[in-house]
Amino acid sequence: METPEQTVLERLERGTAPPPEAELPPARTFEVKNMSIWYGEKRAIDNVTLDVAANAVTAIIGPSGCGKSTFLRALNRMHELTPKTRMEGTVLLHGEDLYATAVDPAIVRRRVGMVFQKSNPFPTMTIGENVVVGLRLNGVRNQRLLNERLEKSLRMAALWDEVKDDLHKPGTSLSGGQQQRLCIARALAVEPEVILMDEPCSALDPIATAKIEELIYELKTKYTIVTVTHNMQQAGRISDYTAFFYLGRLIEFGPTTKIFTNPSEKQTEDYITGRFG
Amino acid sequence: MIAAKHILGTFDEALGALRNNVLMMAGLTERSLERAMKGLFDRNDDLCATTIADDEEIDQLEKQIDKDGVDILLRFQPVASDLRRVVSAMKLSSNLERMADQATTIARRARKLNRHPALPEVDLIRPMYDHAMSMFKDSVDAFTREDVELGRAVVSRDEKLDDLNRSASDKLVERMGRDPGQLRGYLNLIFIGRCLERVGDHATNIAEDAVYAANAEDIRHPSLATAT
Repeated sequence: METPEQTVLERLERGTAPPPEAELPPARTFEVKNMSIWYGEKRAIDNVTLDVAANAVTAIIGPSGCGKSTFLRALNRMHELTPKTRMEGTVLLHGEDLYATAVDPAIVRRRVGMVFQKSNPFPTMTIGENVVVGLRLNGVRNQRLLNERLEKSLRMAALWDEVKDDLHKPGTSLSGGQQQRLCIARALAVEPEVILMDEPCSALDPIATAKIEELIYELKTKYTIVTVTHNMQQAGRISDYTAFFYLGRLIEFGPTTKIFTNPSEKQTEDYITGRFG
Repeated sequence: MIAAKHILGTFDEALGALRNNVLMMAGLTERSLERAMKGLFDRNDDLCATTIADDEEIDQLEKQIDKDGVDILLRFQPVASDLRRVVSAMKLSSNLERMADQATTIARRARKLNRHPALPEVDLIRPMYDHAMSMFKDSVDAFTREDVELGRAVVSRDEKLDDLNRSASDKLVERMGRDPGQLRGYLNLIFIGRCLERVGDHATNIAEDAVYAANAEDIRHPSLATAT
């Protein structure tokens, strides 16, 4: 059997290099085609087509009102909770149409979890109850399973060591950063396929932000993550792909390194360098 | 291309100050090279001494540009073309400082040569000097005007400078064999030729950085696969 060194030497002799990993097409979690969304008469998303890579972090950036949160919410049909909403186009999750008539939005939201800007633990519940509430609502009564999932989710959210002795205390007794990680644990407990994050660090201090960013980095090995952020540096740090939205349109989408060193569109360059408007 | 104004005025000011210092450093380096070579051609020790003394000011500017560049990275975390401009400015200053060092070396060697009778072989150095200086000026121009084509053109001119240096060195070595009494003088001229050849190398680096700043394209070492 040839050693790696031999392989490299042979390649050098032949003058061929192995294809870089980045060139291989990534597996897709979402395929969004020609998505348009209206709130009443107002068009919030305008004909967006975009593929979301699996086991990667995709950041959505853009000025306020550009439609990035609407786009994110449309990935788990959360936007439908707003009255007078209309949507056109298709969203495929692992090839399945999320908007097909037979699909139950509640199931979609279980498969595609969401973490919000402001941490929102249920105020009347303990830390432990907050984590497993989704499972209970889905009819899980087996205490052993609930306990297992509780610990696993809290460990994945990097919160277990900090709260394992306080599981009976109210969720609201935690700090802001801990509450946000509690919400991530709650999202993880139902074992989703994707995690959507809507500015998950915007209300947190730098240390709590760093912990969430570290967590996102670890979670992407198991989950596909799509996050909306106003923080350009954060998008640069945590994401593999970046999508820039403006006035409901997808202006540019590509690898984060490319977007932040040499964007193709002038509007993207102007926005990320702070020359907008 | 001149970028539109940044929303944050202080960022524009900081970028402007960084750029001005780079241009000032380029101007001083050009002057030092010219003075050192004039000191050689005109056998003028005063010009050589001035070149050597001026090096300190250029070193000071290099430190200032590095400090300002790091401050900008720290305070504004620039991205895209802004990031490339800052990184290129810092790399440029390092190349300019080393060019100025070559000017100092030339001035020192010229002073040694000036202590002895003039060597007509000094003329062998002139074409190299003209070529190296035109590469230098064009490389700084390419950076200033973000002119990608000019940057590429400078890079392609380095080979000719290498040829001129080889040819001059060969002739000087041949003279050494014929006239061993002037061996030191010929050796000093060979070293001056090598300094000019290095000026061309630094001009090439600056031109490559100019292309990167303007176009985000890394044209160094074309035989290697493009880094992604």
